[in-house]
Amino acid sequence: MLDGILAGRTVERPFVTRADVVVVGSGAGGAVVARELARAGRDVVVVEEGGYYAPEEYAAMTPSNTFRRLAREAALGAAVGLGETPLVAVMSGKCVGGSSVLTGGVCFRVPEEVHDEWVSRLGLVAMGARALEPHYRAIESAVHVETVPDALRSRGTDLFVEGADKLGIPMRPLRRNTHGCRGEGRCNFGCPRRAKMSVDVSMLPEAVANGARILSDALVERVEIAGGRAVGVRGRFRSESTGEPGVPFHVEADLVVVACGALHTPLLLRRSGLRSRHLGRHLTLHPSTRVFALFDERLDGWDGAFQSVYSDHFFRSDGITLISAFGPPSLLAAGFPGVAARHRDYVRRLPFTAAFGALIHDDGGGRVHRWLSREPLVTYRMSARDRVRLFRAMRILADMAFAAGAKEVILPVFGAPTMRTPADVASFFAAPPSARRAESVSFHPLGSARMSMRPEEGVVQPTGETWAARNLFVADGSVIPTSIGVNSQLPIMAIAHRIAQGIADRRATAPRTR
Amino acid sequence: MPRDFTRTTFFARHRVLVRALAEAMFTCDRGPDAARLEAFVDDIDSFVSHASRMLRLGLLLMLEVIRFAPFWLVWRPATFESLPCPDRIRVLERMESSRFVPVVLVFAAYKAILCLVYFEHRDELADVGYSAERTRWVRALPLVSSQAAE
Repeated sequence: MLDGILAGRTVERPFVTRADVVVVGSGAGGAVVARELARAGRDVVVVEEGGYYAPEEYAAMTPSNTFRRLAREAALGAAVGLGETPLVAVMSGKCVGGSSVLTGGVCFRVPEEVHDEWVSRLGLVAMGARALEPHYRAIESAVHVETVPDALRSRGTDLFVEGADKLGIPMRPLRRNTHGCRGEGRCNFGCPRRAKMSVDVSMLPEAVANGARILSDALVERVEIAGGRAVGVRGRFRSESTGEPGVPFHVEADLVVVACGALHTPLLLRRSGLRSRHLGRHLTLHPSTRVFALFDERLDGWDGAFQSVYSDHFFRSDGITLISAFGPPSLLAAGFPGVAARHRDYVRRLPFTAAFGALIHDDGGGRVHRWLSREPLVTYRMSARDRVRLFRAMRILADMAFAAGAKEVILPVFGAPTMRTPADVASFFAAPPSARRAESVSFHPLGSARMSMRPEEGVVQPTGETWAARNLFVADGSVIPTSIGVNSQLPIMAIAHRIAQGIADRRATAPRTR
Repeated sequence: MPRDFTRTTFFARHRVLVRALAEAMFTCDRGPDAARLEAFVDDIDSFVSHASRMLRLGLLLMLEVIRFAPFWLVWRPATFESLPCPDRIRVLERMESSRFVPVVLVFAAYKAILCLVYFEHRDELADVGYSAERTRWVRALPLVSSQAAE
C-alpha cells in the first residue's frame, strides 16, 4: 500500500493545496517526473484521474475486473478507421501507475535509425541516441530491465521460435522491467507479486518517500494559465457512487507537467486555452496484429511469460516487429471465429493454441478530437504502405506457425476462412481483403503533442516546455515526434527523465522551504 | 480495495436482449441456467458501465442494431430476442459473415464483451482445462548439486 495518497472519491469538501510542481497523470511519464523532482527537493503533487489499487489487490481481479477498474473506457476504446482502415482498439490505463500497470513489461530503446531521423531530419539533437543514453541507463536501472530467460518462454512461444528458425527469421529474447517473475501470465492485468516493476511499484513509492503527494480519482479539467504562464490546475474528484466528477479541487503550483498520455494530453491543453494546429494531430498507433495457431500437442500457453521473444528481422525492410503474445482464456476466446457450438469447439482447443503478434512502425494518420464526451474521438487513416505491412505481418506469422507444425491458423480478419495449409495462406494473401476487415489493436498511442525545434512545427520545445505557455511542460508519449516501431514504455520514461532533470536544473523552480 | 462505482447502463429491454444474445452464443446446446444468465447480464451491465457516456450510448445503439437484425438478415419480421435460439444463432452467423463491415463490428464488439466476462467464470475455465498452476519458470532455477546442498 502506498502512503501519501489522497483518494479523491472519499473527499467531501472542496480541496485546495499548493505545490512547487503539479504533475497531471501518474503513468510512465508522470511518475518518472514526480520521482525525479521529489528527489531534487521539490514539493510535488501528482493528480491522477483513475483510482489506486495496491498490487496485492490485482490477484483478486479477473481480467474483466482489471479492465473496468484500471483501463480507460473499460478497455473498449477504439480509433475509428477512415477510408481503407481497420477499427483499431486502443488500450490505455486509468489508474495510479497508468498504462505501465497494463503493459507486458516489454522494454525497447528507440531503434537507432529512428533516433537518427529525429536528429538529422527534425534537428532534435536532444532526442538522439547519444543524448538519451544516460537517461535510458538511469531508467533501466531504476525499473530493473532484464532479459527474459529461455525458461520463462511458454511452449507456444517455443514452437513459434522453431517455426521462425526454419524460415531463417532470427528471434531474440525480450527485455522486460521485471524482478522475480514466475511467468504467471498476468502482466497485462496487474502483477500481484510486484514482479513487474510498473511505476506504481518502482517510481511512485520513492516519490512519496521524498514528500510527493498523490491525489487519485481526481479529474483535471483545466490547467490555469495567467500572463502566459501555468500557475496550477483545477478539476473535480470523481464521486464514490457514480464515478462522475463532483467535489472541486485546486492545486496552485509554480510549474505544471502534463502527462495524461497521447489521447488526453492534447484535449487538456486545448481545454486550457493552448492554441496550436499540431495539438491532437500526428497521432501514431503502432497497429498490432496476431495469429492463433492450433497444434496437436497440448501447450497450455498461459504457463510462461506472455511476452518473451521478438524479431526485428523485418524492421528495416517492412517496418514490422514480431513479438510473442498470449492472453488469458477469456480474452483469447473473444478472438475465435464462430457462434455457439462452432465457437465453443475452438475455445475447448485453447490448451492447444499458440499465439504470436506483430506491430507496425506506422506512418501516423491519427488524430485526437474533442467532442461530446470527456473521452476523445480518435480517428485514424492508415497509409497504403501500412496496409501492405499489416497483411505482410499476418502472412509472416501464419508461415511461421505452419513451419512449426500448426494444423490450423486463424487470421485476424473478419470473415476469413481457417487456414489449413501454407497454400491456403498464399492463396488468401494473393488477393487480400479490405483492410477494414482486419482486427487490430494499439497499445502505444504516441505523438499528439509532438516535440519540435520551431513553434510552427509542433507543440513542445526540446526541453518539454510548451511553445505556447511558460512553465507548462508535457512529459508523456504525446511528445514523441514520430512512430518508433517498438513498445514505447522505456522511451517515454527516458524522455520524461530528461525533461524532469531539465526542470530540476531551472532556477525558477528552486525548492522552497517547506 | 476501493468500492466499484455503482452505475448501470441497460434498461429492462436491453437486459432481455443481452440475455438472448448470451443464450445464443453460449448455452443453446447446454440447456438454460437461468440464475447464472441473470448474474451474467448484471455483470455485463457493470462492465460496460465503466465506459464513458458516449461509448455507453454507442453500445446501446449497437444493441438496437442486433434487435432488428432479423428483419434484414434473415427476412423475419421479429426482433432478435423473440426468435427461438437456433434462429438467433443463424442471425449472429449472418452478422459475422456480413459484407457490410459495420454490421460485423457490432457483432464483434458484443462477442468480445460477452466472451471476456463469460469465459472467466470458474466453470468455463475448468471446461477449457485452464490451470492457474505455473511450472515452466521452475526450469530457470539454478541447479544445485547434492554435495553443494549439504
